[in-house]
Amino acid sequence: MATIKLVADYNADPCTGCKLCDIVCPSGAIKMEARKPVIDEALCIGCGRCVDRCPEDIMWMIQRSEPLVTTVHPDEVDQEAVTALLEKAGIEAAMSVCVCTLTPGSEIAASIIKGAKNLEEVCAATGMRSGCGIYCVAPALRLLEAAGCDMTPPGQHRWYPSTLSLYDLSDEVCAKYPDAYIEEDRAVFDPEHKYGPLSKEIL
Amino acid sequence: MNAHTAIKPPAFMHSDYGPALQPHVSETIESMVSVPLTEFFPNFAPAITSGYPETLEADLERVRAETRKSLALVDMSSIAATDSVNILASEHGFGLMGGWPYAEMIKTIREVVIERTGCTKIHLRLAIYRGFKEAEEVAEHFGFNEAFEGRVKGLGPFDQGVEVETVVGPMYLIKRAFDATKFIHAYYDDPREMYFNRLLYKSFKSFCMSYARYETRSVYHSMFGNRSGSVIPRALFDSDFIQQRYTFSSVLCTTPMGVIGVDATTDLYAIDRRITKSHLETYGRMQRLFAEIKDCVAIWDGGRWGYYLHGGGLIFGTLLTNHSDAFDLDQPVVAGFMQSPTAPVNFSRNKNLRGVVVNQAWVGAGIPYVTMPFTTPMYIVGEEQAQMWREDPTNPLLMDRATVVDSLHQGVAMACEKGQTDKLIVFDGSYGHLTCNQALADLLKARAPAVDKMVGEELLPKWLAQRGLS
Ligand code: SF4
Ligand code: SF4
Repeated sequence: MATIKLVADYNADPCTGCKLCDIVCPSGAIKMEARKPVIDEALCIGCGRCVDRCPEDIMWMIQRSEPLVTTVHPDEVDQEAVTALLEKAGIEAAMSVCVCTLTPGSEIAASIIKGAKNLEEVCAATGMRSGCGIYCVAPALRLLEAAGCDMTPPGQHRWYPSTLSLYDLSDEVCAKYPDAYIEEDRAVFDPEHKYGPLSKEIL
Repeated sequence: MNAHTAIKPPAFMHSDYGPALQPHVSETIESMVSVPLTEFFPNFAPAITSGYPETLEADLERVRAETRKSLALVDMSSIAATDSVNILASEHGFGLMGGWPYAEMIKTIREVVIERTGCTKIHLRLAIYRGFKEAEEVAEHFGFNEAFEGRVKGLGPFDQGVEVETVVGPMYLIKRAFDATKFIHAYYDDPREMYFNRLLYKSFKSFCMSYARYETRSVYHSMFGNRSGSVIPRALFDSDFIQQRYTFSSVLCTTPMGVIGVDATTDLYAIDRRITKSHLETYGRMQRLFAEIKDCVAIWDGGRWGYYLHGGGLIFGTLLTNHSDAFDLDQPVVAGFMQSPTAPVNFSRNKNLRGVVVNQAWVGAGIPYVTMPFTTPMYIVGEEQAQMWREDPTNPLLMDRATVVDSLHQGVAMACEKGQTDKLIVFDGSYGHLTCNQALADLLKARAPAVDKMVGEELLPKWLAQRGLS
């Protein structure tokens, strides 16, 4: 869950239509129309990245009149499906996938079971990536991949399909880096040996 | 114990990401002292830099000389006069002692490469953390535009990527970092997030962080433990893509005392072994000394994100995450996004840290972690700074909990009273000494001999053996 207090705004007159704000938006809140950005307030998770990116310095954040609360509770969806998705991806339900919003693995999985089909929709539904925008991406992509979603990267380097996990490493890699504590870490993070490499089988 | 006048910290770069420069703690609170680290650990060797404006020219002269001395031994035959070369620099180097020593090493690398190879197409690529304007600020402040004749560009985790095939599968680096035929890894060895990198192949970390897209950074931080994560930067460094372009590394070497020299060679694995040993001996002692602090209030007072501000050569994050011995590789998790389901660690909370007073620090990095203001009382000095934090999208809940105070004195008094502590520690960018109050200075000085003995006799031999460095 994230409580979003800010929303992006901008001055259309000096906008050059460069599209950079759209490209960095994590939640798909910006759409270009007639070479000007249109910001969907319902999708804006208040990360401020567009403001920082705009080369013309014509964007800013304003307070929302009411905070936007983004959340998908696991109860809203089939709990067994959430558990199965987490197990297939090898992501712990309680793991804070997004450490800025403390969005747990279970909530990301629930958003996908509820219908999110890509990273942008997961971000808009849960508020993940409204902080640093960096560290939560791989676990979320892995859950999307495990659910059989299309992993073709969208254009303009919005994201690339990185989903590697500790459980995927081959014997060859383990042998090449014998001092990397791979087996030891697998035992710590997966004491019940539930997880393995991500299978291609779609849930 | 002798009284020491508090020392004003190194001057830092003003940034759009931080507040207007405020008077420092050392200037505002008369009772503060700056204790030379040699009073804790007499065997710490002196640094070649002081980091202070009065001696800046002499400091930089020594950095230049050390860089030239080290580079003189480097095989540069992989650089042809017709090549183009990117010098890759990373942003946290500009947080070390005001950033000038690192900047000087970078400028000297360029000069020497031109002299030695005849190659003149040398570009600087400045890797920054998150803010798109940071690189321009750095280039301007340190005079890189002039030094590199305009061949300077920033790069960050959201910039266009390039897919790189590695032994662990495809990873994504930032295209602009590698848009020349060759590159030089111009690094600094500040251990910074020692609880994450565990000093396990730390010198390689830029390959999965500074030079990498956010997806690769996420894999390193979130999909591996903090020991097994060491596979990712090594797999990238060892990849054909990197090896075809890599020429040599030049690393600004530090201890908690400051800059001690420059280590340059083509063999990054050899540099890493030397740095790791030095760090375990020096930063290891300071880290264990910080673990002796059982109650204190910390003051953020510098020109970086609060989490990464140095005091006594260690960042605030080290104090926050001092739950256990970060260098003991038998400990599976010290901090990390991937947590043991049976024994999770709250690495944004140190119960001994009773409060944080923010005199000045940058916003915008998701730092402190969202839970910190909920578990550790925070006091923001001044309404103007408070407004900056309110508008920080990366910390939306901080100002719900933090208290705005009129003055540093008021914040310190409130924090100490609420936290039931009389000890203050300052993170203001200092190396070579720790700025704190007398109560903490007395405690640390009393504890240091036992820490020195414990590290020297018990911990250091174990740490070294775990890394094959005995
Ligand atoms: S989600 Fe972030 S990048 Fe997108 S419109 Fe909102 S503030 Fe801008
Ligand atoms: S980044 Fe700025 S100038 Fe470019 S399209 Fe967006 S608002 Fe316009």
